[in-house]
Amino acid sequence: MKAKFLVMLAVIGVHSVPVLAHHSFAAEFDADSPIELTGIVTKVEWMNPHTFFYIDVEKENGEYENWALELGSPNGLMRRGWTRNSLRIGNVVSVTGSRARDGSLLKGNARSIVLSNGVRLFNGTNQINPNLAELPQ
Amino acid sequence: MSRILTTAIIMVLFSFAKITATAQQNTETAKEAPPTPRLADGTVDLGGDGVWRLPWIRYFSKHIVGGQDAEVPFLGWTKAMHEYNASTNVAYDPEGFCLPPGGPRAFGTPYPAEFLQQHDRIIVIFEGGAHVWREIHMDGRSHPERDALNPTYFGHSVGRWEDNTLIIDTIGYNEKTWLDYGGHMHTDQLHTIERITRPDRNTLHYETTIIDPGAYREPWTVAWDIKWSEGQELAEYVCQENNKFLLDLKDDFGKPFFEKTPDAN
Repeated sequence: MKAKFLVMLAVIGVHSVPVLAHHSFAAEFDADSPIELTGIVTKVEWMNPHTFFYIDVEKENGEYENWALELGSPNGLMRRGWTRNSLRIGNVVSVTGSRARDGSLLKGNARSIVLSNGVRLFNGTNQINPNLAELPQ
Repeated sequence: MSRILTTAIIMVLFSFAKITATAQQNTETAKEAPPTPRLADGTVDLGGDGVWRLPWIRYFSKHIVGGQDAEVPFLGWTKAMHEYNASTNVAYDPEGFCLPPGGPRAFGTPYPAEFLQQHDRIIVIFEGGAHVWREIHMDGRSHPERDALNPTYFGHSVGRWEDNTLIIDTIGYNEKTWLDYGGHMHTDQLHTIERITRPDRNTLHYETTIIDPGAYREPWTVAWDIKWSEGQELAEYVCQENNKFLLDLKDDFGKPFFEKTPDAN
């Protein structure tokens, strides 16, 4: 498992591709509102301009709530080593990212995802990285 | 277990070595890049077995030609609108609505692009900006006059070669785009003169002069380099497919930007 994790890290995480940008990150998400969620994938929308996946997260009272989490576009993710089957319904995942500015929504931008088998997937997020954005990519 | 770990480490090192080799190759090509490729007639070849990896140019103001003191020559309304757009986190950027980027911004939208050179025109295909293309007439024609010029997202472009520089003159832009992500606006008086060179195989130098008396006091010029990505191909990117950003977008008063129609699901 460790081997698989390390290899996936090397293949997916270090691959150098542009940070894709479709809409303003700051208009929709709050970089100062980090989220850490663990849940079961209920749906994957492998679509443009952003892939979305949805997870059921158990609350303290035992009920579940369904979160929508944004990723990069399929073309950007594929250049990072993803396929449309990297995330599948039923996967248990841990997600870190940023919550939507509208706190009434169960919505966020996923920065990284760890599957239950340890494989880590990095997002081709639209979050602005000031160190990358203005450099030749 | 230790054997698995050793194998993993070797594989990781191999992956890193491969990546490092690529990085090293890039460094080498920066120092000793292959020469500018040319077509059979000697014209600069803007293509090859690869794509141009367009950078993300968020703020034209950071790429002005003319030194660090150069500033955007705003008129009052464009300065005010630029400040307003910044205050809304550029939420109303037309590209966020999956509308095309317009001429110069297309070269600063971070998805790959490709040039197709034909004898009478050059087509530039952009993966991003909603899967769009630009057509540059190279047959010596003039721009259409008066109402024959229909304002469009990319305007009407005529091009010519001056030595090794492709010069593209464009008018006829509509007012539905921003010049950049940062919210510099323009009018339909916009006239751009783009200069494109390929100093070596791996570099495209892009420069454009922005002339718009309806929005700026005087012409101003921005420039940046674009890197070649050998062996890469364009992918499909149909931005309009599932643009959820618009579903939750609110206006300045907190109301939904788009009203749902009664029969909408």
